[in-house]
Amino acid sequence: MKKPKVAFFSLTSCEGCQFVLLDLGKKFFDFLRKVKLIDFSLIEEAPFPKGKIEIDVSFVEGLAIKKEEIKLLKKIRKESKILVTIGNCATLGGIPEMKNYQGKERTIRYIFKRLDGVLNPEIKEVDNFVKVDFAIPGCPINGEEFLKYANQLIKGKISEIPQKPVCTQCLHQGKESCFLRKREPCLGPISLAGCKAVCPINGILCYGCRGIIKKASPKGFLETLKKFKKPEEIEDNLEIFGIRDHLEKLKAL
Amino acid sequence: MKITIPHIHKIEGEAGFWAKVTKTGKIEELKFQTLLGLRQIEGILIGRRYFEAPIVVSRICGICPVPHILASCTALEKALDIKISEQTVLLRKLLLAANIIDSHTLHLFFLSLPDFFNIENDLALLKKFKKESKAALRIREIAEEITKIVGGRVVHPITPIVGGFSRLPEKERFKKILKKISFAINDAVFLVDTFKKINYPDFERKTLFATVFNNKDYPFYLERIIKISEEKFTVGDFYSTKIEEDLKNPPTKKVKFKGRPYMVGAIARINNNGKFLEGIAKEKLEEFKKENKISEEAFFKNTFFNLFSQAIEVLNFLEISKNLIKEILKFPLKEEKPEIKFKPASGLSVLEAPRGILFHYYEIDKDGRIFNCNIITPTAQFLYNLEEDLKVLLPNVLNLGKKDQIRKIRSLIRVYDPCISCATH
Repeated sequence: MKKPKVAFFSLTSCEGCQFVLLDLGKKFFDFLRKVKLIDFSLIEEAPFPKGKIEIDVSFVEGLAIKKEEIKLLKKIRKESKILVTIGNCATLGGIPEMKNYQGKERTIRYIFKRLDGVLNPEIKEVDNFVKVDFAIPGCPINGEEFLKYANQLIKGKISEIPQKPVCTQCLHQGKESCFLRKREPCLGPISLAGCKAVCPINGILCYGCRGIIKKASPKGFLETLKKFKKPEEIEDNLEIFGIRDHLEKLKAL
Repeated sequence: MKITIPHIHKIEGEAGFWAKVTKTGKIEELKFQTLLGLRQIEGILIGRRYFEAPIVVSRICGICPVPHILASCTALEKALDIKISEQTVLLRKLLLAANIIDSHTLHLFFLSLPDFFNIENDLALLKKFKKESKAALRIREIAEEITKIVGGRVVHPITPIVGGFSRLPEKERFKKILKKISFAINDAVFLVDTFKKINYPDFERKTLFATVFNNKDYPFYLERIIKISEEKFTVGDFYSTKIEEDLKNPPTKKVKFKGRPYMVGAIARINNNGKFLEGIAKEKLEEFKKENKISEEAFFKNTFFNLFSQAIEVLNFLEISKNLIKEILKFPLKEEKPEIKFKPASGLSVLEAPRGILFHYYEIDKDGRIFNCNIITPTAQFLYNLEEDLKVLLPNVLNLGKKDQIRKIRSLIRVYDPCISCATH
């Protein structure tokens, strides 16, 4: 049987999701042995081929900020049967999306004196430019979860991540130690599980980096949170990992 | 003649190289430039609450999130007059040491080593260097386990917060690590020996080396003095009056010391603080210099030895980690919650990240919101130095074929271990 062709692309980002993959060590290299690797600039030298390539699965990390990145993204789409976003940036806009809420003209002024030639577009997720077939969310992604879905994707199977809230994986669920019981605005109940609730378990609120579960009705929940803390603080929390715009679309804010 | 490498693979972040050289060998133009867009991390932080800083700055870089998190916590603690406990200092040092081991090993083995054997793909590398790759993977595994125990996660650790930690590690897990760490030290000795045998290119250019300094141990966290060449400055003095940031060429900052390029990172640290290396690391370094008849002076003039310096540091920081864990096991780790009182204030911090000194500076208002922020990364500091080195290298590669030319240029760029995500934040 012919090996499926797989490629990894990194647009503007911290590249942390790629490092999650490398940090899987042997498990990741075993996965790579099952496929024909077309591009992964972190571990090989060959440039992205110019002509027709027909990739089975492309994984895209990061944001298209520069014109060249948008062009590359469109080429990736054209060449790929399945396009998958990996990570919070590509899927939901990520940390850089915060500037959209602040007025992007203001934000850049703080850093550089001369700005000729610097692009300062509104931050847009990958699905604003091309059709996305599957998303592996999170900041960063969970390596084990990646392997689970990647192994299905290379067989051409696109499934759905079970739509359960982060709380279902949290050790504090239903206990005194739950942030919500302490009137701390944890977003666990409306956020997509799959991260093993790694933040609340480590003593930090869930800020929803994996996005909002489908069919959730976040409006009432967010109203409750606004009783715990000032409404602006709740809005600040929703901006950290780029979910505020999604909640606005759902008319939850 | 034009030499271009549109996209240099196998570095952290995406970058390219362009040069224009006349027939007589005169360099008319030389650029090492980022291909990434600007995320505007410093701008984004303006108006945000102080405790968001570590979460946000971690996302500057996926391979070195730890130094960014710790530098932001430390700077904000200075601003808010928060005194951190000895327990916090030890745990943070361990976290930082583990990150240096992790980042160096990745760079040494997976990004740079293939350059010296004309291997173009890491899967081929794993086949050719079976024993070595297993050793490298084991070293990374232990560094990542430490990061997980202390930080909760490897990429973008969760627990370090302004004032200390949101959750304390379980001591039992450290005891297990302590057993494994001696094996990792053996692996590191093997890795050092692998890098001892590499055919390092001849190269010579004198430069300045900047690091933190205390004249009593191999320093990397919470130091007050910066040493550059034979001069010493307080951190504040060095940051505010001795270096200039060139902000005219966005999206990358470039930094000079009194108008001169300088080097930071592993080779700089060994130049300034080499006599404080742990026993075995120091022995291995001396052995290498002696066997290859390299003088002290020649070693620090050849940037390619940054690679060997990183290998020595992997060994050194494994020893340091072992000592830190022993120290931590003596402590009854206890939950702490320092009181935080807001006031308008500013705070600056410096620490040794894998690639060199990293500065974080913040100003906060009476409500604990950030209204000014500046981050100077190691890569921004060594970019001029890299360009100067490339200018020395270039005339010597002009007679080579195109492929070899590119290979040589690429390998010099890679020994710097540039972090483009950090440089283009």
